[in-house]
Amino acid sequence: MPREEYQVPTGASGAQRGATRDAHESRAQMSYLCGDCGGSVTLGKDALVACPHCAGRVLYKERTKRMVQFEAR
Amino acid sequence: MHPTKPAAWTNTPDAEEIARRQTVNINIETVSNNISTDYPGHFPGEDVEFTIERFREAFSVNFHQNDQFLSSFSLVGIDASLSNAFRRILLAEIPTLAIENVYIENNTSVIQDEVLAHRLGLIPFKGGREGLHNFLKWHKKPEVGEDPYAGCFDWNTVRLELNVECTVNPDASPAEDDPLKAYNNAHVYAKDLVFVPTGKQEEYFSGENAIMPTNPDILIAKLRPRQSINLAMHMHKGIGSDHAKFSPVATASYRLLPTITITKPILGADAEKFAKCFPKGVIGLEKVTKKEAAKKGSGYEGQEGQAKAVVVDAMKDTVSRECLRHAEFEGKVKLGRRRDHFIFSIESTGQWDSDELFLESVKHMKLKCKKLEQQVINMAR
Ligand SMILES: [Zn+2]
Repeated sequence: MPREEYQVPTGASGAQRGATRDAHESRAQMSYLCGDCGGSVTLGKDALVACPHCAGRVLYKERTKRMVQFEAR
Repeated sequence: MHPTKPAAWTNTPDAEEIARRQTVNINIETVSNNISTDYPGHFPGEDVEFTIERFREAFSVNFHQNDQFLSSFSLVGIDASLSNAFRRILLAEIPTLAIENVYIENNTSVIQDEVLAHRLGLIPFKGGREGLHNFLKWHKKPEVGEDPYAGCFDWNTVRLELNVECTVNPDASPAEDDPLKAYNNAHVYAKDLVFVPTGKQEEYFSGENAIMPTNPDILIAKLRPRQSINLAMHMHKGIGSDHAKFSPVATASYRLLPTITITKPILGADAEKFAKCFPKGVIGLEKVTKKEAAKKGSGYEGQEGQAKAVVVDAMKDTVSRECLRHAEFEGKVKLGRRRDHFIFSIESTGQWDSDELFLESVKHMKLKCKKLEQQVINMAR
């Protein structure tokens, strides 16, 4: 992104200035993929990081649901 | 005192001198006489000015092979600067259609998005000639901040889609260890790309004129059950100087015609060894005739019926110089290349016919000359 496009976030637009994370209470439940069994794992805010199916402790973040554009070069 | 005989340089060159001038010498470790001298003022008293009539008379084209996607032909009587211009135009300036943008909705395969996009870009496509060459026009890359799709129309953008998901094949035996049989869509091939015609593209690209990969069996990715790829692609026209994927040729190259001159007879077992120094069909063996054997000072005296090496087809030679490594052939053979005989080889990637490509390169060259001419006229004004 060119520098000109960058706009300094102001306090008025949503999140408080200086906040390091967005307040997304609506998405408190996150979905992950288990590294051992491949199953889908949903974790709550303070849940133990482990797969309920196989107790695997390696969880992967899911791929973005958004479209990603690439140049074929 | 007036000289009785005019100086040697005032004679018109004989055949031997002309042959010397148009041959690049290939020596054991060096290449010599590699600079063209056929320009005005180089040889005093000789008129070698370029005129179109002279060029026309000396120039010839003959085809050795003309398949749809591979042609080979000789241009004789042309300067290296011109034939190199044609070669470079073939590589870098004739437009083709290729995948330019990839919009990935999902890709859970092991191959990364950017690598996948790059692989897709390199796949050569074919389609209806009329549509590709006349209907499709250039696409202008949108400026930063501009709507990226505003410049996409049916006459400059071709849409393709790829939606594959790998699943377990329920009919396969559980012990099956060939992934192609055990799973459905284990391999994603170029033929899985689906052309989605928009607007007037139906008219130009339907049936056998549809946009499709030239080589349907190009492997794009490998999948395992529950992995999937969902993406759309936009194809645009481009040229090879922008990116090699737009180059219409797999190779377009030329070589100079090799010359092999046997200056002293090579006979008997030496002749057989000599033939083995070259690819098959370059050197043949003939019997020394009675007439040759009778001739004094020919080197064939008393050798009637003996095998001698003769040059059959120098064009097949790869100019490996192997024959120059052996002491027994020293001083008996001269290797060289004809300076003005270009053996072109053009291999198309499928969007053009290979002979059509060469004509197109001539057309581009002509256009460049016209542009230059106009600029010179403006300059002189
Ligand atoms: Zn698990």
